[in-house]
Formats: sequence, structure tokens, C-alpha cells
Amino acid sequence: MPYIVLLDQAKAAFPQYDFINALTPSEQKAAFHVLDQVGQHLCLKIIAPHYDIDRLHREIAALQSLDHPNIAKLKEYTYSSKPGQLKYFIVEEFVEGEDLSTRLGAPWPRPEIARLFGELCQGLEAARKLRIVHRDLKPSNIRVKPDGTPVIIDFGVARHLDLPDITDTGQGAAIGTPLYFSPEQFMGTKRDIDHRTDLFAVGILLYQALVAQHPFVEPGVTLHDSICFSNGYQTNASFISIPNTWRLLINKLLAKDRGSRPHSAAQVAAILQRIGGD
Amino acid sequence: MRRGAWHQCGDRSQKLVIEQLQHNAGVGVIISPRDLAYEKAVAYSQEYRQLGADVLIDLQFCYPEFTNPKLDTYATSQYRTSISQLHQISDADLLAFMCELRTEVSQLATSAIIAPAVTYESGRPDIVQLNAKLFSAAREVAYELNLPIYATAILGQSVTSSQQTTDTCLSDVTSLDADGWYFGFEFSHQERIPSVQESVLRCCVAGLRLVTTGKPVLHAYAGPMSLLSFAFGATAVGIGHWQNLWQFTPGRWEAPEVQGGGGAAPPRYFSSQLWGTIIFPDELTQIPQPLREQILASNSPFSPANLTIPWPRWTANKHLVYCLCSQAAQMAQITPAQTNAAGAISILQDAVNLHQSISNHLTLADNTAAYQSNWINALNPHFSPLFSLR
Repeated sequence: MPYIVLLDQAKAAFPQYDFINALTPSEQKAAFHVLDQVGQHLCLKIIAPHYDIDRLHREIAALQSLDHPNIAKLKEYTYSSKPGQLKYFIVEEFVEGEDLSTRLGAPWPRPEIARLFGELCQGLEAARKLRIVHRDLKPSNIRVKPDGTPVIIDFGVARHLDLPDITDTGQGAAIGTPLYFSPEQFMGTKRDIDHRTDLFAVGILLYQALVAQHPFVEPGVTLHDSICFSNGYQTNASFISIPNTWRLLINKLLAKDRGSRPHSAAQVAAILQRIGGD
Repeated sequence: MRRGAWHQCGDRSQKLVIEQLQHNAGVGVIISPRDLAYEKAVAYSQEYRQLGADVLIDLQFCYPEFTNPKLDTYATSQYRTSISQLHQISDADLLAFMCELRTEVSQLATSAIIAPAVTYESGRPDIVQLNAKLFSAAREVAYELNLPIYATAILGQSVTSSQQTTDTCLSDVTSLDADGWYFGFEFSHQERIPSVQESVLRCCVAGLRLVTTGKPVLHAYAGPMSLLSFAFGATAVGIGHWQNLWQFTPGRWEAPEVQGGGGAAPPRYFSSQLWGTIIFPDELTQIPQPLREQILASNSPFSPANLTIPWPRWTANKHLVYCLCSQAAQMAQITPAQTNAAGAISILQDAVNLHQSISNHLTLADNTAAYQSNWINALNPHFSPLFSLR
């Protein structure tokens, strides 16, 4: 269930902002596009009260140290001690542009794919260096600016690998969006989640950009079985027709065992730069 | 990580290493605290560095509860305890451990830090967690000292006994944010040098998987298997005078009951042409002159003068180490692993042919001809195609 905060309620709680519109809420946060007093476009996220705030503080602290052009900047994290008020909120850079999802309907030119995904991987590498895993990388969490720069948004279910988990997920790793889950998110434990989990999602997105189809949506096969056990996508005629180097990269990114995937997003970025428009 | 041969200490070989470095054999030294008191280690480190070598220290937490008087001279040794107790180390103790580690690596002036780690065993997530904890601590120290941090990936027999367990373990290992890998692979203890093709291939594939992370791999405790290390793309190899360096049984860490070990057994001559040993001089004297010359061909300064003069065991050790270092140095100059794989196959094929010629005259003891052809079989049809996946 998404965490809903009515627009009027939000306006009353945050009079310092001009509200432009409500954005799609998640289970953890209600989100609004706002303007601050100097006219800066921002994204205000009001955090649902049922989250462990101590853990949240620690993870927010890690996210605050992320400063990269391909990651939405966390501007402010505040909580109010006034009783009865909406307590916890974060303010992020509002990224103008469109979701990556708007571009996935048809295949794009490969040089453009190489550039955009290369930059995306540079953002992920910056997170990896801080031991942060996004865990919910999907088209709607990647904004593409008018100048073509991809920006990763919504580290809402991100995990700092050196800290306890932000959310109470028990033993499981199943947090995120199933369509972009990795096998370890379906089957593993939290211990199995690392930066290569995000690389699996990159593999799915890259496949979608090249083939304009999801690699694991197969008729008669559950998403779980397809992601965890099937390599049926490899026989897709459109996939077979793309150059070998791209296929090789996708196969590595979509390896079921995270140990067989590229070791880092930087490695993927370097490969993309090398294969460029092949 | 410097490319080439690194001397793997651990069995009273500190002076042997100095002699090797004086003969330009080896680019680095991995100090073992197990047989060298801390103060002496600091002095030896300086001496090694003056001879142009890089220095590392392997704290050998493989069996963390093991201790001896030499180890006790290292401040980090106070944290040697059972795996379960180490797992419960408090934040304060971990911080203290980091301080001691910082002092030790600073005084030894190491070129990187090898993160302490317990031998990985199959079905032991507690070991994975413990090693991740120790790695994080060592990484903090490395960052502070601006040194590279190498994750220790010593895979015990329960891991290396199947491809699946090896893969699972490597998935865990490679989640560590390391600047390089200190890789060891344990084989069955039945043999001095592993001959089972499947196991050898598994070792090479495991090494290759670490190589594909883009970080340098030091194949620790490689010994004669260093011929294969460069074939899978390793940057460096650990070489010592033991042929079965790769064994990580707890007994290995105990002091030998009898000084010297091995009794009055004659020395073994390591022949690069055989890529193996032959008993000196007993077996050599039974071989016709032309073949013998082939076997003895060597540029080692530690080669025996002739078959009639007794050859001391320690000189035989020096000769072995020099030959392995020499070959490693040659392979280290070649960067495509595929070329090194082809080179290794060629050396091994020549060795197989030579062994066949010898077999017309004599059956060598020690089963020393048992592995070369299997190493070729591991490398040749299976391994080369893997490089196309890199």
C-alpha cells in the first residue's frame, strides 16, 4: 500500500514550499514536486512513520555523501519534533526530463545506448564505492534530463551494505520491483545482495533498450522461474541479431550467479565505452 | 601488485629469500609471522626492500586459533581465537585490532595489506560474514595508510571439491570491495602435486573468475603450479621451497616434531624440462647421458656441480625456488593470458615427451610424471575458450 498524504495536508505541514503537484507515492514515501523560496525545483518526500528512524538516519547519512551527476542529490533530511505533525521528510533534487520508461518502446541507436548506460553505470559505481546498493533500479527510477544525462532517483529501498537494513525484511531479500528482480532477490537472503544485484537490473534495462522487450517475460513461465532459471531470452531473434559483444555483455549482466556477473559498474562502463556503437 | 614471483615465506626460508633476491629472482616477499618473530620480520622487511623487493605480510588467520611463540610476538596475534569467538569480536576489540594492524604494516612498510581471513569452507555463512568483517577492518586501515587492500580468498577443500561450491564461495568473496585478490586453492592431500584434471581445471577457472573482476590476483602458495597461474591471468604467484604449499590442513601449522623433517631422504632435483623432480643423484645416474643433460639443463646458480658430489637439501630447495621464479619472471613479461596458456602447454608437452623417453630406462619414484599431461588436458580443450568470455 502506498503511503498517501493529501496535498492540502502536505501544504499545511510544509508552508515553506510551493507545491506544484503530487508525484507517485511508494510504500515508504509520499512525494511532491515543489518549489522552494528561491524558486528551485525540488522533490519533497514525506517518509511513512512506520520505518525504523535510527536506521534511516544512518542510511541517509551515507546517501548524503553521494555527490555524482548521475545520481539525484539529497538536499536535506529533516525531522520535526512538533507533536502531531508529519515528522520525517527528505528533499531531493528534482530532475527535469522524462523517465527511461518512455524510451524503452522501440530499440535505440547503439551509440546512444552505450553513452547513456555508461553514464548510468558511473552513477552506480559512485554508489558502490560507498557500499550502497539501490535494489530497485527500474525505468521509472531513472530520469533522463533534456540534455540526455541519466539520473538515478529514489534510493528509497537502497541498502548500505555495512549497516543493518533500512526495512524490516526478515531473512528475505525481496525488496524492489519483481520485474527487475535479480535471482538472489527472489531466492536469496539479504547477505546475497550486493552491487551486482543492481547490475542484473542494468542487464534487463540494457536488453530492453536494445531489443524493446523484457528478457524474462515469457508466455507460460512465471516471472520467478524465468528470472531464476531461464535463459530463453538468448533465443529471441531480435537478441540474436545484435552484435556479439553486446550479447556477451548482456549475458554476463544477466548471469544467474552474481559471481559470474561483471565485478563492478565501472567495469561495465568501461566495456560500454569500448564497444560504443558496434 | 608487481607482476612476477613473490617469495612465500613460512618455513625458515628468510635467508634463502635474500639469496634469491640477490640473484634477481623474485619481485616481492610475503612474510609469514608463523616462523619469524616480529622484530626480526621488521629487520628482514627492510633488507628485502633494500634488495628491491616489495613486501607483504600474510597474517595467516587461515586457522585463527593456531598460535605459537613466534606468532605471539605480533600484537595482532592476541586476536587469534576460535572462529565463533572471533565472530563475536566487539567493536572496541575490532578497533584495537585495526590499530595493531596499522602499526604492524607501517613498521613492515608493506606495499599493500592482505586482509586477514579464515579459510573458506562450504556451507559456512558464518565464515563468509567473519571474513567480510575482518576485510572491512583491514580496508579501513588500508585507506588510512593509502595502501591497496587485497582480499584473502583461501578456498578450503570442502569448497574446492565441487564446481558448485566453488562458484558459490567465489560469489561471496567477490562481493568484497578489494583492490586485488590473495588467492589460494586447496586440493586433495593425497598428492604432493595435484594431478586430477578436474580439480586443476577448477582451480584455474576459480583464478580466472577472480581475474575477470579486473583486479590483480596473487596466486598464493602456488609453488610449481605457478606455471598454470599465468595461464589463467594471475598477476603474481607465491613460491616457496615446499612443493605442496597449497595444503591448508591444521597440521601444517604445527611445528614439526623432528627438526628438518624427511629424515635422510636424498634431495630432489627440480628440472624445468621435466616440470618436476628427480631424485639426486640416484635416479639421474641410471639415465643415459644425453637424456641426463637434457634434464639437468639449467641457468640456476644453485645447480649441483656434478653427480658425485653430495648436494645439500637446502641447496636443492634454493634451486627449486630459483627455477620457479625464473619461469614466473618470463611469463610475467607476457600479458595475454592466452599466450601464457599456450606457453605452459608447450613446456608441459616437452616434459611429457621427456618423461616418456625416461620411462624406457627407468620408472621415476614420487609419481613425478603423473600430472603434466593432466594439466595439459585441463588447459588445452577447456581453458582457452574461456578467454573469449572475458
